[in-house]
This record gives sequence, structure tokens and C-alpha cells, in this order.
Amino acid sequence: MSNPIKSLSTRELMEQLARESEGLSISDRRDFLKKGMLAAGAMTATTFAGTAAASKNLPPMEPSWGRQLGAGVVDKPYGQPSAYEKEVVRRTVPWLTAESIASISMTPIQDLKGIITPNGLVFERYHAGVAQIKPEEHRLMIHGLVERPIIFTMEDLMRFPSVSEIKFIECPANGGMEWKGAQMEALQFTHGMLSCCEWTGVPLRVLLEEAGVKPEGKWILAEGADGSHMSRSIPLEKALDDTLVVYAQNGEMLRPEQGYPLRLLNPGWEGNTSIKWLRRLEVGDKPWYHREETSKYTDLMADGRARKFTFVQETNSVITNPCPENPIVKSGLIEIEGMAWSGRGKIKQVDISFDGGVSWVPANLKGLVLDKALTRFSLVTKWDGQPWLLQSRAIDETGYVQPTLGQLREARGTNSIYHKNSIHSWKVEANGGVKNVQIS
Amino acid sequence: MFRLVKNALLATAVTTVLATPGMVSAGEKYGFGTTATAEEIQGWDIDIRPDGKGLPAGEGSVADGEELYEQLCATCHGLFGEGEGRWPVLAGGEDTLTEERPVKTVGSYWPYASTLYDYIRRAMPFTAPRSLTDDQTYQLSAYVLYLNEIVDEEFVANKDTLAAVEMPNQEGFFVDPRPDVKNNRCMKNCADPAKLQIVGTLQGVTPVGHFVEGADAPAASHQAQEEKERSLHGETVEENAADTLALTEDAIAGRETYDNACQACHSSGIAGSPKFGDKSAWKGRIDQGMPLLVEHAIKGFSGETGMMPPKGGRTDLSDEQVKKAVAYMVESSQ
Ligand code: HEC
Ligand code: HEC
Repeated sequence: MSNPIKSLSTRELMEQLARESEGLSISDRRDFLKKGMLAAGAMTATTFAGTAAASKNLPPMEPSWGRQLGAGVVDKPYGQPSAYEKEVVRRTVPWLTAESIASISMTPIQDLKGIITPNGLVFERYHAGVAQIKPEEHRLMIHGLVERPIIFTMEDLMRFPSVSEIKFIECPANGGMEWKGAQMEALQFTHGMLSCCEWTGVPLRVLLEEAGVKPEGKWILAEGADGSHMSRSIPLEKALDDTLVVYAQNGEMLRPEQGYPLRLLNPGWEGNTSIKWLRRLEVGDKPWYHREETSKYTDLMADGRARKFTFVQETNSVITNPCPENPIVKSGLIEIEGMAWSGRGKIKQVDISFDGGVSWVPANLKGLVLDKALTRFSLVTKWDGQPWLLQSRAIDETGYVQPTLGQLREARGTNSIYHKNSIHSWKVEANGGVKNVQIS
Repeated sequence: MFRLVKNALLATAVTTVLATPGMVSAGEKYGFGTTATAEEIQGWDIDIRPDGKGLPAGEGSVADGEELYEQLCATCHGLFGEGEGRWPVLAGGEDTLTEERPVKTVGSYWPYASTLYDYIRRAMPFTAPRSLTDDQTYQLSAYVLYLNEIVDEEFVANKDTLAAVEMPNQEGFFVDPRPDVKNNRCMKNCADPAKLQIVGTLQGVTPVGHFVEGADAPAASHQAQEEKERSLHGETVEENAADTLALTEDAIAGRETYDNACQACHSSGIAGSPKFGDKSAWKGRIDQGMPLLVEHAIKGFSGETGMMPPKGGRTDLSDEQVKKAVAYMVESSQ
């Protein structure tokens, strides 16, 4: 389903037809193969039409699954996606890092619907692999400039009244491989360090009130329990605003990849600050300047100086249909669809350009429009083989308009790695194929 | 009648229960969790700040650090901090921050020396985090600073001297000024169509086998990218003919897979893996015969020296690719 462009080779097709024609009479079979040949000839470009025409499961015939029984209840106590969706998986780009234990994978956003990322597809970012933590032996310590240093068990934390909120989480390096030029041949790699879940937990504010922050307290150090003991300094202002201490995602306890049994969530901020496997929060009067806020996650400008504490994920958007993985298969009506998100609040408007940014038309927002969450946009139009230079441009409720790549490069140069939220371009070719390009 | 009474009673009961939360006055605490003891806090409070807060007692010299570094760190970070393969570079890169390809290291980029102590203490060595003593962490911090020519060989790091080290790029950082660009919501004639420049994608550097016919799923590699970039710049890719001459076709084909998926462990022999080219480490293994070696490489293998993950942890590789990588490793190690 996810890969209509990958047509069967003629040989594969003929083999399949031969398999499916078994059991037919000789003359039926000759007929059948002839049809298959025709179909094969017609499908050189794309589509499964050839195979579909040959199937015994189509009207007027009764499909095979309607003539037999399936597996019973709890055949799979924890359900899995259909076997036909096996291409909908996280993927990585092997050369990005030395090995997979300190690396990143991307969510197949080209295949997802709505705004919620299924738990098994949320992108991964590890610095020392996935910690395997026994929940009954996990502790969260709050100390430093507080009236009463506290240690919480998971049971303690789950006694607090809980909140559930839908928020996106994005690595600030999303798209960061393309500052100098386009080089990712698929949406999964240009924008897949992005997911959105319903997160359940306790507002950090509540826990800080419990410990009693002293007046000198201005920053929080959050630290993970994994082998990297990932640590980030977070201003108290954010911690008291909307930071959550999270134990569940999309209705179930966190996945190990997402920090089971406990993680931080800083809505709208760079993913790295949302410390996974959270074990410690220290209140201090100054930031700590740890490795992940000096060596990494600082943005190097063209003049050799670097921005620090670049927390916010600014307004961004991308078209998910069509895209390199989802080419246009037929002329006619098409829904241009995509996602927009802003770390500063709600999405207000998304515009679409078909000519590389010369002229723009407004798209519609559809479904839920939530604060710091993925938001779907859509525009139904017609494609008749004309080349398009497709772009989307999002505007958030603060009035910030997603910038062009040229504007970003002019302000920052090309070595900042992080926070590339520029308008993205897809080139739609006459055969419906879609290529990643940059327009300047 | 009776029923009514019962309902009335129930109603009162419910009101009482509901009233309780209303009685939680502002500022009243839940009282969950236990008070952390000084000892508990001390064990976990590992962080260091630029002003030296958090640095423990103890000390470590450059000389002691050199020995320890070569033992624990050089396999990945290189003897001089230059970084083996794609492992991080720790030294060098002075004055490159404005260049086309800046080299950001402890010496060229990090603003504070305290970060070094903090990071080594919390995360290194990569394969055994939190295994170093406080003194060892001082030794290694001193040595990495020495590799970057920030301290001299007499330097002894302790809580006062380390906090006093001034890093070359200390003034190189400033607070995020975003939003820093201002786009307008232009709807018509926003650009001159005649002047639009379209730059295509560098092809062959991302794994697209899942949707492009004929593409090799894991073909994307560092090498592939570098070669691509070189060829774009009109340079020819240098082949080390002597290296490849003696190898079979399979082995040559397996080289790229080895570089991508196997050298992380096998080039240095970390984690108990037989080192590439080390004849004695491979002899007994090769004697088992290729089929078994290949099976171990594909399915994973726990022998006497360590654990070989299935396909080196890269399950996206085909069996064929792994087989060729084994051929390359074996032919180069006998
Ligand atoms: C098995 C390989 C390996 C060994 C051995 C190793 N490291 Fe590392 N080191 C890494 C990796 C991988 C990273 C990056 C981790 C990440 O990105 O989260 C790293 C990062 C670092 C950094 C930060 C580099 C930067 O620019 O941000 C320092 C400093 C460091 N290591 C020091 C050491 C020291 C000191 C030792 C010896 C005690 C050591 N390492 C041993 C693999 C290794
Ligand atoms: C994470 C580290 C790691 C990676 C990556 C890795 N190996 Fe290994 N490999 C090992 C270790 C450890 C052993 C030794 C196991 C033992 O004998 O106890 C080993 C052993 C082997 C052996 C010898 C098996 C035997 O029967 O003696 C072969 C062959 C091999 N690896 C091939 C590969 C190939 C091919 C790759 C890449 C596709 C690869 N390895 C990637 C760690 C690794």
C-alpha cells in the first residue's frame, strides 16, 4: 500500500499470474495469461492494476477470506499491524552516526494518517541505547534549591491527579542534513524526526510545588537514568508553565524507546530537552552548560559564533501527499495533504504553492487544531500531468510565517545543523513521480 | 418510600466525598514521596557547573591521563583525539568555525572545561559509563585538555585548577535571538519565475529500496555519500589497488558492508570481537569453515570472548551482504 511506485517486474508479474491461474482449465488459463500480458503492458509505469485484474478475490467472485475462518481472540494478545503494512517502519540513514546505539531513526510520516503517531513508530534517538528499567526500582529525585528534597516511586507519581495532552515532539536536527543542499530522497528522511502523541503524566509544576522551590531557584537540570545520563538545563519559567513528567503515551505506558517508565516532555521545544528515562531534577540558580547544550544543540552561525539555548521548534510544515514515497498515480482530482506544527502554539493558516512560491492559495485545516500539536491541512485540486513545484507555508497563532530557505541561510549560514524549518519543495514530474528539490 | 430514603442517604454520602477535595486549601501538599537523604542525593548528584560547583575532591595529572586514555578511549577517539572512523573527534579544529566544514571539538568549540569532567563522568567510556573513579575522571579531563593544547604536560586537574581553565571559545556563544527571520504572507507575484533556481537531490545517499525499484535498501553509506560528493566535484575516486588485488570478487563486494556495519567493533576489536587483520584472532575461527562463520554473523553468536549481534545489529542487511562482508573480513585476516 505504501509503495505504489514499485511496480512488479514483468517476470514477477507473470510468475504471479501463473501461480494464480493454477486450477483453471487450459483454455481459461490461456485467456487469463493473455489478459495478464495486456495488463502487464499497460502497467509499465506504476499501479497494481495488472495483479488486481488477475485476482480471484474481486467482484463478481467471492474473496478467499470470505470462504474461510480467521484466527480467534487472543491469537495475538497484543495486536500487530496487518502483514501487508510491513513497509511502514522506522528507518535510519546508516552513515549519519558511527553506530546504532547513539543514533536516530525516523518515523514513516509518509504513511501515517491523522495527527497521532502510533507508539511503535515514534522516532528514536538514543545516546546509549534503550535502557531496560524495572519500574518498581525506578526513582525520580528532586533536590537542589528546594525546601524538601523528595524521592518518588512510580506508584507515588501515579497517585497525583494526571493530565493528558496531545503534543508533537521533534528533534531539532529534523531536516538538518539539507542546509547545504537537498540530499534526502524521501519524506521519511527529510522530516521524519517528528512524532505526535497523547502524553499522560503530572505537570512538573505540581511536583516542584511539592518540593517547594526556593526563591533563588531559576533553572532545572533534568537527567536520565540510561547509560548516557542525558542532561539538559531548563529555565524554571518553562518548568512551571507546561512541562510534563510523563508515564504514558497514546493510552498505554511509555514504550522503552520513549523512556519507560518516566520521561520529561517540554511541549514545543527541541526533543532533546524532553529527557527520557528521567531520574533526577535538580533546582539551581544558573544553567549547567553540559555537553548537550554546548558541544551539541547549539547553532553555529556563519561568523563562527553560536546560539545557545535554542529551545523552540519554530513553525514548520510539509506536504505528505504527494511526496517521493507517494507519487501521483493517476490524473484527475487529488487531495494535496500535509502536516503543520509550531512550538509556539496553534497553527492558524497553511498556504500552498504549485509554482515554487510565486503564487499561493490557502489550504484548509482539518481535524483537531491543537496547541503545539501536528495539524493536518488539505486542498483538493486537479492534476493533469503538468509539472508542479509544490510547497506549503504555515503561519502560527503568533503571526510567524514559515520562512524560505534563502531567508534562513541569509540569517544563519549553512552550518547551524539545527532548526531548519524552511518551506520545503517537491518537484512533481510529468509521470507523477515526486523529487526532493530546493528552490532559490 | 424506603427507596427514597436510601437515595437521600446516598446523596449525602456523595456530597461528603465530593466536599473533601474542596477542602484541599491552596498551598496544601499531597505529601507523596519520601524525603531524600543527604546520602541518597550524594550518590546521584553527579553534575558539574562552569563555576566548579559539583567538582569532587581528588586530582589527576596529564601523565596519568595519557596512559588511561590510550587504554580506554583511543580505540574510538584516536591516539591524538582525531577520532577513528566515524567516532567523535576530540581534539583539533582550531579556527575552523567559519569554514565550509567546521571541526567542532573540545578545543575549538566547547566553552567550559567543567563540561568535560561532567560528560566523561556521566557517559564515558561509551561501553562502560559510570565506571571511572573521580581521580581517573580528573586524569582524563586533564589529558583531553592537553591533547587540545589548552594545558601543558605539567597540568594537574583538581576542583580549583579545572574550574580556572579558560577555554578558547568561551566567548563564542550568545542567547537565542529567534524569531530572527521575517517572512510575509505574500499571495501573488511573490518571486520572479524567470529567476527561480531549482537544485536537485544528491542521489544514492538515502536508503530508498522500500519504494524505488532496483534501489539497494542499505546502499546509503558514508562512502557512497563521499564518493558522490567527490564525483560531483569532478574528482576521481581513488582506489587502493594493492588492497583489493588479492581479494575475491565476493570480498571486494563485501567491503562496503564491512565499513558500514561491522568495522565499528571489528576494526578495533572492542567488546571482544576478533580484530580485522589480526591473523591469530581469526585463525581458530576460520578453521570452522565459511558456512558456520557466515551463519554466526547472520544469526548472531555468543562465544568465549563476547557477543556478536545478529548481522552486527544491522538487520536491514541481506544475508548475501553479510556473507560478502564475512568474506572480506576473513580474506583480509589470514
Ligand atoms: C566504543 C567507543 C568509545 C570509547 C571507547 C569512548 N568513547 Fe567517547 N564517545 C563515543 C561516542 C559514540 C560519543 C558520542 C555519544 C553521543 O553522541 O551521544 C562519544 C563522545 C565523547 C565526548 C564528547 C565529544 C563531543 O565533541 O561532544 C568525549 C569528551 C568523550 N567521548 C570522551 C571519552 C573518553 C575520555 C573516553 C575514555 C574513557 C571515551 N570517550 C571512550 C564513543 C567512545
Ligand atoms: C557490536 C559489535 C559487533 C559488530 C557491529 C559486529 N560484530 Fe562480529 N563479532 C563481535 C564479537 C564480540 C564477536 C566475537 C564473539 C565471540 O566469539 O565470543 C564477533 C565475531 C564475529 C565473527 C566470528 C564468528 C565465529 O564463529 O567465531 C564473524 C564472522 C563476524 N563477527 C562477522 C561480523 C560481520 C559480518 C559484521 C557486520 C555485518 C559484524 N561481525 C559486526 C562483535 C561485533
